[in-house]
Parts: sequence; C-alpha cells; structure tokens
Amino acid sequence: MPEMPELNPVIHGKLRLALLSLLSGVDEAEFTWLREKTGSTDGNLGAQLMKLEEAGYVAMKKRFVLRKPQTLYRMTEKGRVALTEYVSALKELLGNAVISG
Amino acid sequence: MSAENQELTERLELIETMIAEGRRSTTRWAWTIVLWGVAFYVAIAWSSGFLGGPIWGQHYMAWPVTMIGTWLLTWGLATRMRQSAKAPMTTVGRAIMSIWTAMGISMFALLLPLGLSGRADQQVCVAAVVTLLGMANAASGILLKWKAQIACAVVWWVAGSASLFGSVTQSTIAFLAAIFFCQIVFGIYAMICESREQRRQGAANA
Repeated sequence: MPEMPELNPVIHGKLRLALLSLLSGVDEAEFTWLREKTGSTDGNLGAQLMKLEEAGYVAMKKRFVLRKPQTLYRMTEKGRVALTEYVSALKELLGNAVISG
Repeated sequence: MSAENQELTERLELIETMIAEGRRSTTRWAWTIVLWGVAFYVAIAWSSGFLGGPIWGQHYMAWPVTMIGTWLLTWGLATRMRQSAKAPMTTVGRAIMSIWTAMGISMFALLLPLGLSGRADQQVCVAAVVTLLGMANAASGILLKWKAQIACAVVWWVAGSASLFGSVTQSTIAFLAAIFFCQIVFGIYAMICESREQRRQGAANA
C-alpha cells in the first residue's frame, strides 16, 4: 500500500492557509488588507501571522507612510515551497480517495 | 464524498479563491494615461510655438523638459499612491509596470541622442515614439486580455506608418489624433473601468 502524504499542520489551519494563498500572488501585503480579505479579527489574524512568521513562511516589516504605521507581510521562499508541497499532498490525498472510492 | 474528503476539497477551493482574490487587487493607474496624453499635447504646443512667453520661447527644450517633468510627476504621485493604498502590488501589476518602464527608458535612449546629434527628423521621431507606444500598449493589452488596449496599439502603429508616408502636417495630425484616442479617450475609459471595479470590490467586501 502506498504511503499517504502528511499535511503540514502549520499550513493546514484555515486562516493560515488563506493567508499564505493570498500572499502567494502579491509582492507584499498590508495587515489591514489581509484582514479585509480574510474577514478575520485583529487578534486572531495577528496570532496566525505570528505562527507563520515563526515557521519562517512569512516575513514582516514595519514602516511609516504619511506618519502612519504600516505592517507589511510577504511570503518567504520557504513559505512558497511549503505551500507548493501542501497543495501537492492535498491533490495526492484527494486522488487516492477517488481511486479507492 | 466522505467528511474528510469534503474538508480536503474545501481547502483546495479556499487556496484557489484566495489566490484569485489577491490577483484581483488593483491600484489606480489609468490617470497616468491621461496625464501623459496632456503632456504630449503640451510638448507639441510648446515646440510648435503655440505657447508664448520668455520660458515657452525656448522651443528646443519643449520635449526634454515636458517628458522629464511628467516622468518625475508620475513617479512621485504613483509612489505616494502605492504607499498609501492598501492594495498590494501583484505579479501582473509588476509585469505591466516593467513594460512601461522599459518603453520609457527606450524612448529616452533613442530620442535624446537623436535630438542632441541633430539627426532628428520630425516624421521619423513621431514614427519611433508611436511605434514604441504601440508596443507597450500591445504587450499590456495581451497580458490583461484587454481588447480596447490592443485596439489602441493598432491605432498607434497605423499612426506611425502614416506619419512616414504623409507630409509633416499630416504626420502631426496623425500624432494628435492618436494621442486623443489612445491617451485621452482610452485613459478616461480606463478610469471609469477602475472606478466600477473598485465599487464592485467594495460591495463584495462589505
């Protein structure tokens, strides 16, 4: 029996997965833009982004624009590889499910 | 479908939705088309002697001053708008920006030495400018799958060819007409499209 691929638990969380997917299509994104797109609360969004940052999947930087602070996030190369592997594993699992079903 | 498979399918759909959502993000840029159209008209009027006064009398300065001034204005305003806007730069946005930056540099690299060396022939210069503008419009239009912009590219190319066959006056008229349709009319149309898209996105996020 072929070995089933494991899904990366850091990415598997719905909000974290949504965040990585959003960041995969842009250079960098502001915290408020991510909040708007995901419909999440500040606290939850901050906590999930911190988990992704700790895993090295996203990088954060702060800057001031017109005297207002901005927090920007971008996906790292490690994060891009992790998301690609996650999608492959997901497709493999679904493929196996179709074959066995 | 089992509950587990249902969840996995939902994850895959979530990824697709979020990637598409990120790519749909737009910053306003259509104003640059209109701005450059106006800049072309100013440069033509200045170089043709339609603008009076001590400064405007220096006709040889018309194109370099107007083009460099407009480039600085575009760069300054675009930087300020991009920094204050929430929408991030997408891969498609970066591709389009690179096309127009490369076109602008090519234009300066060609026209400045032509002007300084004294080898500038008005009709050849018009043909070179509009052909480069046609190239940038075509590349952007193909990338965005936007027929209106591809049509603008065709107008530029036709104006370029026409300027080489007609008289100096006909060449100028072809250039003025192409600017009107491809910069002013198309620019205003693009601004309307942007407003509609941003209203639609606003409604979707509400």
